[in-house]
Amino acid sequence: MIDVKNLVKKYAGQTAVQGISFAVNRGEVVGFLGPNGAGKSTTMRILTGFLPATSGEVSVAGLDLLENSREVRRKVGYMPENVPLYMDMRVREYVEYRAALKGIRGRGLRNRVSDALARCGITDVSRKMIGALSRGYRQRVGLADAIVHEPELLILDEPTAGLDPNQIRAVRDLIKELGKDRTILLSTHILPEVEMVCSRAIIINRGRIEASDTLENLSKRVRSGSLFLELKVAGAEAKAALEALPDVGQVDIRGEADGWVQLECLAKPGKDVRRTVDELIKDKRWPLGEFRYAKPTLEDVFVELTQE
Amino acid sequence: MIRTILVQTKRELGAILFSPIAYVLLTCFALLHGFSFTLCVEAMQQGVKNVTIMFIFFNWFFFWFALILFVPILTMRLFSEEFKSGTVEPLLTAPVSEWDVVIAKFTAAFLFYVLLWVPSALFYTIYQFLTGHVTPVQWGPLFLGYAMVLLIGAFYISIGLFASSLTRNQVVAAVLAFAGIALLFFCSFLGFFTVNPQLEELVNYISSLNHMRLFANGTFDSRPVILYLSGAVLFLFLTERALAGRRLKN
Ligand SMILES: Nc1ncnc2c1ncn2[C@@H]1O[C@H](COP(=O)(O)OP(=O)(O)O)[C@@H](O)[C@H]1O
Ligand SMILES: [Mg+2]
Repeated sequence: MIDVKNLVKKYAGQTAVQGISFAVNRGEVVGFLGPNGAGKSTTMRILTGFLPATSGEVSVAGLDLLENSREVRRKVGYMPENVPLYMDMRVREYVEYRAALKGIRGRGLRNRVSDALARCGITDVSRKMIGALSRGYRQRVGLADAIVHEPELLILDEPTAGLDPNQIRAVRDLIKELGKDRTILLSTHILPEVEMVCSRAIIINRGRIEASDTLENLSKRVRSGSLFLELKVAGAEAKAALEALPDVGQVDIRGEADGWVQLECLAKPGKDVRRTVDELIKDKRWPLGEFRYAKPTLEDVFVELTQE
Repeated sequence: MIRTILVQTKRELGAILFSPIAYVLLTCFALLHGFSFTLCVEAMQQGVKNVTIMFIFFNWFFFWFALILFVPILTMRLFSEEFKSGTVEPLLTAPVSEWDVVIAKFTAAFLFYVLLWVPSALFYTIYQFLTGHVTPVQWGPLFLGYAMVLLIGAFYISIGLFASSLTRNQVVAAVLAFAGIALLFFCSFLGFFTVNPQLEELVNYISSLNHMRLFANGTFDSRPVILYLSGAVLFLFLTERALAGRRLKN
């Protein structure tokens, strides 16, 4: 659905996107993940034909973007960052105008607009001025605009930015629902969001792609989960014994008091050390206070990949 | 694409009519013209001979004042507002071309401009009615006078539209447009300061004052028509380039 090769975008003073390549397949919901200023919006603006690339090849929906910009724009539904809308229009009026601008004509128009408003849960406010709506509702008006011409591909730039937790949940559910029958590329810097709605994540940092994989593989990639232990033994002794085990990477002493020591034990990437550690403890007959395994989160991956 | 342009023109007209500026402009324009018209009537009563009331009206100071001042106010927000609020992004990522957008914005502003002139035509109708048609309507000068109003308007609006496409700041856009229009207009007065016949001829060719005087007198000349139409097309073209270039620059 999207095929990007060696995309470069230079602004007047800096290079925002430094030769990235990635692909999004039909039916996928892909999270475009990165800290602020990573180049997410820039990439999306190029994909939607708003900005020209400095160099590189982009094809969307099987069409070359340079040659078929208008045809591509017909097939893409785009919600820009911060959802700019005409504040002086009413909700329904705006979505009808957008549908007409995207080439929907005649009797179909009213139906499609009604359908889009219903899907986004804004039928109730369809007569209100957009300027009078809360941020959450505006976001949904932006989504209704993005889906009204039934595009094959949705590109959403930070669809939940600036919303309160309830609104975030509503918009997220809506995206999940929309993702059932179309391809979505959404950008965000909120990690749980990706974990909740996406099947794959592309992590971008300072204009470069750091990783692109399914969430599961990404999680495995950097390191395995952490094992939190509390043992009644001298800290140094426990640390030495644990570190001697195969597959154990790093062991940190988190605290020591009353003869008990708290440790965090990291396995080497892709390894699981719960079993060997358990056997070691039983072998040594150390009294055990806590034995807790925490799965690696996307956050760990993100921090690890995008840190300075 | 005609359909796209129509859809966008409707949106632009809505935006103009929604803004309070539209009503301030309409009111000021009507008041100014009403005032100007009364003065014209007085001038007629004091025995100005051999001219029609519309001739005086179209050449009155207020006429130019209104034109030069109000067009920049009308055009300043056309692009600047979209740049500032970011709505230019959904607009240009819809399947439209830059030309569609430029033509739609121009058409909407022009239609509103036509609306601004309706009261003046009403004054004239009322005048004719009240005076019991003492002077027969001179269709030639009337028609040509308004034609010139529209031609000059189209040209000035295209200048204003271009100014608006250069900046996200409406005030800057208005000042730029005002400067451009005023500069062109004041070329009309260069004739007073020169004795060089070639320069004088040039001034006569570009002088809006002359054109208006000519047309309001019922004399048709194709040269000003071509001048204003090609001027408008030139600035629309520059606007389209500025819009496309803005994307390149960003
Ligand atoms: N119009 C612009 N002109 C110059 N630099 C820009 C412009 N837009 C973005 N940038 C710069 O490009 C980099 C990437 O920005 P952006 O794509 O908006 O990142 P993100 O959406 O990931 O936060 C940033 O460093 C930003 O300052
Ligand atoms: Mg961004």
